[in-house]
Amino acid sequence: MARAFSRRRGRLVAHLDRSERAVVGQLAEQVLELIEPAAGAPTPREGVAEGSEDGFDAIVAGIGQLSTDVGEPAPERSTGLEEDRDPALDRLFPAGHREDPEAAREFRRLTEPGLRSRKAANLRTVVQVMERGSGNPADPDRLSLDEGEAIAVLVGLTDIRLVMGERLGLRTDEDAERLDRVAADLDGEDPAAFAVMLYDFLTWLQESLGRALSGDF
Amino acid sequence: MVVVVSVAPVEQEQTESDLQVDPDVPWITLVWNDPVNLMSYVTWVFRTHFGYDKEKATRLMMDVHEKGRAVVSTGPKEQMELDTEAMQGYGLWATFQKDD
Repeated sequence: MARAFSRRRGRLVAHLDRSERAVVGQLAEQVLELIEPAAGAPTPREGVAEGSEDGFDAIVAGIGQLSTDVGEPAPERSTGLEEDRDPALDRLFPAGHREDPEAAREFRRLTEPGLRSRKAANLRTVVQVMERGSGNPADPDRLSLDEGEAIAVLVGLTDIRLVMGERLGLRTDEDAERLDRVAADLDGEDPAAFAVMLYDFLTWLQESLGRALSGDF
Repeated sequence: MVVVVSVAPVEQEQTESDLQVDPDVPWITLVWNDPVNLMSYVTWVFRTHFGYDKEKATRLMMDVHEKGRAVVSTGPKEQMELDTEAMQGYGLWATFQKDD
């Protein structure tokens, strides 16, 4: 059972059980796979679970009921892009200029490789800390992060939620309210309900880490 | 943006002084509202990257939330590009443009 982050002697400490860590780590790997191919020299990574594709994909595949009204991705996010690509990538690497395709193209050319590698590094930190044991058999769920790890995890959780949000059709504040209403009516066994629950869990986790980091309770 | 329980009430003071643009520096960085990013996180990003105090960061965050966007920095084009890139690194949707 998860317990929120708090600051303890300069570290950020939470409690997450094995299944909670596994699902957060797996989602981080899914987003890594999404953003890494064009990052330059792709290096094979170890530890990507066999069949890990079905983690995130299966979760989002279950949102068929919600997908009927996910709508169109915001076109201004892809200003200056020649080709269509996964809308989640446009969410992670949106146009830096909304009206001028040439400026947007140039900005993307200059910044996207660096942004991809920074986001990948954050997500790798998420994977690492989720796989790391607490080192204390009496307290196996304890997750203790130093300041740098905590910031990487905070930003990495944002990117995971952005991708999930795009898959769930979350593009406006009204979408968020609609999703809450739809989710409330779903059967607990419904995969869509699971996806929404997972998204809400990540939201809670990120909020608690952000508050602990800013000393804001 | 998303409110998660126990967000402290925010003074809704609509000051414009912080956002007035120097005519000699006609470029701006805008941050756009989205339904995923948390209000507390957006405030943290503004404090961390720009060094804004809590009050100013919170006011800009509320502008993004309520008006759909906010000017978060003004200055030379090169600096606005750096700010835009940094905001995108944090997962916020930022753009830069000439102020008009």
